[in-house]
Amino acid sequence: MNKFKILGLVLVLFLTSVNFLKSEELNIYSHRQPFLINPFLDEFTKKTGIATNVIYSTKGLAQRLRSEGKNSPADVVLTVDIGRLYIYQDMDLLSSIESKKLSKNIPLHLRSSDNTWFGLSKRARIIVTSKDRVKVGSIKRIEDLADPRWKGKICTRPGSHVYSRALMSSMIAAHGLENAEKWAGGLVSNLARRPQGNDRAQVKAIFEGQCDIAIINNYYFGKLKYSDKEDQRAWARSLNLVFPNQGENDRGAHVNISGGGVAKYSKNKHLAVKLLEFLTDEFAQKLYGEINFEYPVNPKVEATEELKSWGSFKEDKLPILTIAKLSRESQKIIDRVGW
Amino acid sequence: MSLNVRTLDFWQIIVLALSILIFCPLIALILISFGDSEGLWGHLLETVLIRYVKTTLFLMVGVSFFSLLFGIISAWILTNYEFRFSKVLEVLMLLPLACPAYLVAYAYTDFFEYAGPVQGFIRDLMGWKTASDYVFPEIRSLGGAIFVLSSVLYPYIYLLSRTAFRETPNSYYEVAQLYNRNIFWSVSLPLARPAIVAGLALVCMEVVSDFGTVEYFALETLTLGIFNVWIGMNNINAAAQISTFTFIFILMLLLVEIRSRAGKRFNDTSSRQTNKKAKLITGIEAFFCIAGCLIPVSLGFFIPILILLSNALTSLNFHNYYEVTKIFTNTLIISSIGAFCIMGVSTIIACTAYLSGKKYLRTVANFSASGYAFPGTMLAIGILVFIGFVDRTLDLFSSTDSTFYLSGTIFMLIFAYIVKFQAVGYGAVLSGLTKTSPNLIWASRTLGMSFQKTISRITIPLIKKSIIAGGVLAFVDIMKELPITLLLRPFDFETLATFTYQFAHDELMGKASIPALLIILVGLIPVIFLNKILRTNV
Repeated sequence: MNKFKILGLVLVLFLTSVNFLKSEELNIYSHRQPFLINPFLDEFTKKTGIATNVIYSTKGLAQRLRSEGKNSPADVVLTVDIGRLYIYQDMDLLSSIESKKLSKNIPLHLRSSDNTWFGLSKRARIIVTSKDRVKVGSIKRIEDLADPRWKGKICTRPGSHVYSRALMSSMIAAHGLENAEKWAGGLVSNLARRPQGNDRAQVKAIFEGQCDIAIINNYYFGKLKYSDKEDQRAWARSLNLVFPNQGENDRGAHVNISGGGVAKYSKNKHLAVKLLEFLTDEFAQKLYGEINFEYPVNPKVEATEELKSWGSFKEDKLPILTIAKLSRESQKIIDRVGW
Repeated sequence: MSLNVRTLDFWQIIVLALSILIFCPLIALILISFGDSEGLWGHLLETVLIRYVKTTLFLMVGVSFFSLLFGIISAWILTNYEFRFSKVLEVLMLLPLACPAYLVAYAYTDFFEYAGPVQGFIRDLMGWKTASDYVFPEIRSLGGAIFVLSSVLYPYIYLLSRTAFRETPNSYYEVAQLYNRNIFWSVSLPLARPAIVAGLALVCMEVVSDFGTVEYFALETLTLGIFNVWIGMNNINAAAQISTFTFIFILMLLLVEIRSRAGKRFNDTSSRQTNKKAKLITGIEAFFCIAGCLIPVSLGFFIPILILLSNALTSLNFHNYYEVTKIFTNTLIISSIGAFCIMGVSTIIACTAYLSGKKYLRTVANFSASGYAFPGTMLAIGILVFIGFVDRTLDLFSSTDSTFYLSGTIFMLIFAYIVKFQAVGYGAVLSGLTKTSPNLIWASRTLGMSFQKTISRITIPLIKKSIIAGGVLAFVDIMKELPITLLLRPFDFETLATFTYQFAHDELMGKASIPALLIILVGLIPVIFLNKILRTNV
């Protein structure tokens, strides 16, 4: 019987230990992996003494926040992709906050007009081509990928991934529904293989000779270039980078953001704002580049030397919210063309 | 006698209450599916729905076929023959249970794709230079998914059918032999049908709700469609509709089977319960038997483990081992608590429902075990909505600020595990019960024992093995579980599965390999233990 008592005690201790949180802590719902955001949070705690607790999940955190309602312990939401930020705004889960610092640190087109969500870093969707098989300068625009001369040469991840969907939205914004669908159909008919894998896998396919051209987020190139595995560094060496749509009158490369906001029913709003402000300040903005090869949103902060060495580029200044609002139309096109 | 009736009533109410509680999150999902789908069905029907349904069906049929093949053949060999290594193989066969399907998919992709060692070796051997020089089946495909899923799911069928084969009384075989009938087709297989079907049902539900593997292989199944509609089109209602539709489909399949089984009996009433002796074999026969068992277990366990190991060896210095140990213990504790709760609940529900003889009670109990057919993330959303509702109701009755909320607690997580894995426990208990002769129960009741006492003194000891087997399966399932834990866990609460996922999600296989191997390692202990229980005759 004693054994059972001890077992019972252990269980009770376990059950209670994970449940109670102190109020001077900041609770974060994050769509970004812990190993990516922990360096930021550690620095934040060191600077301010505010401890942080994190729940990381790729899907469903908005639903969790909504069903918890007023009882939610969440203070801050951190996520990647404007599509996800918009879902939070659309469900009315974020509070509108006044912060001069945030308004100053983040350009207008990368934050919401009602001050609910804020872009924290930028990533560009770029084209990579094989050094050996594609002549430099033969591809300049995203539109070129639908050109029949590249038949059987292109690899991408599935169309229904958020990154592809966002790119699709930017095409709709630029060319209208009909032409965007024509482009998508052309792209699909140029694919070397069924869309699969993440951006890393596309680069690998170029290295292996399955295809010559791929679309990736810029930071994947950095991750591969500095990978701890020699074979992955070799993949990166086999590539040329193309920042698309850089012509004089062209719109610039499509960018997306990682971002965040303060939960509507946060009990620690002032602390939550502090975290967002910290993330847009110079130190954190630099860190985004150093850890994950992302571009700063803060115009006063320069991109890291490494990023600069890949070339400077003009970005598409389309208000980022437009991308999110076109998401459904994009998915419909993607379904129709079978990307 | 009247007292007995009253205790039965008491248990009936308990069972009803438990079943309804477990079913509530599913009701929440069904309610969400009544919401506005904003005309998306027209678009879906025109474009992708047919493709989703087709892929899902092909995947289900393919995986069912190969799991049955792997599971039944190996179970049959190991019950009827004794040969060198047969005792070891008995344990080995169960090992794939410890491997999460999506991790095996990651491992095989590394292994079989163009850049992997297999194709590299073939190229070197044949002197081919590029992909266009030869044809090699693509691993990220429907065939690849069938291969991966059946390699890890066949143990469900192996486990349940072996128990059934072993418990078939020898007298039946003697009769069959007298009439010169094939004992496999005319005795073993028909008698093991409830067990095999229970296993197959688990396999099918796993396939339909699988997200990790199909996402990685970019297979357009219904589950993948659910997420495209939900995240891509920002419409949770339509997503809930697709999952409810899938759910009803699975339920219908199960009903067909239960119907066709109705009125048949699978238990033995004779008192002479000797079991068939295994035949000793050697030489070439033994070789074929060993091969028949080794093939599936190599596919589902040894090869993926070796791939993961070789990945892990290249990145040993990435983790904080103190953290990993903590997560390891955490995983053990939460899985044990979960498995214990599941077996408690499903034993109460199954025994009462089965032995009460009330048809409606059985139907209710069957429904409570249907959470398994929903994709984990959708189920998690049902649970969030339901628990959110409970919390708000609690709010109404309390005036202070310090109300205790269930949302975001470990209790919510354990409840979620019960909802999801009730099928595992319930199925195991039920297959034990169908093998037990009701005469024993009636005798006990006639002799004046109460319903409660009959259950605790007669039924539970008789089906102890099934209960423990179910508990072990539930333990392993919880330990591997990803989407529910990911979404419903409390702050800073990691299990090995969630810890692995953050790396695997980014295709950082080196870093993911160590925690992945730990998941498999933790899974091995109960799996080996399970075999020991099944061997000793209770």
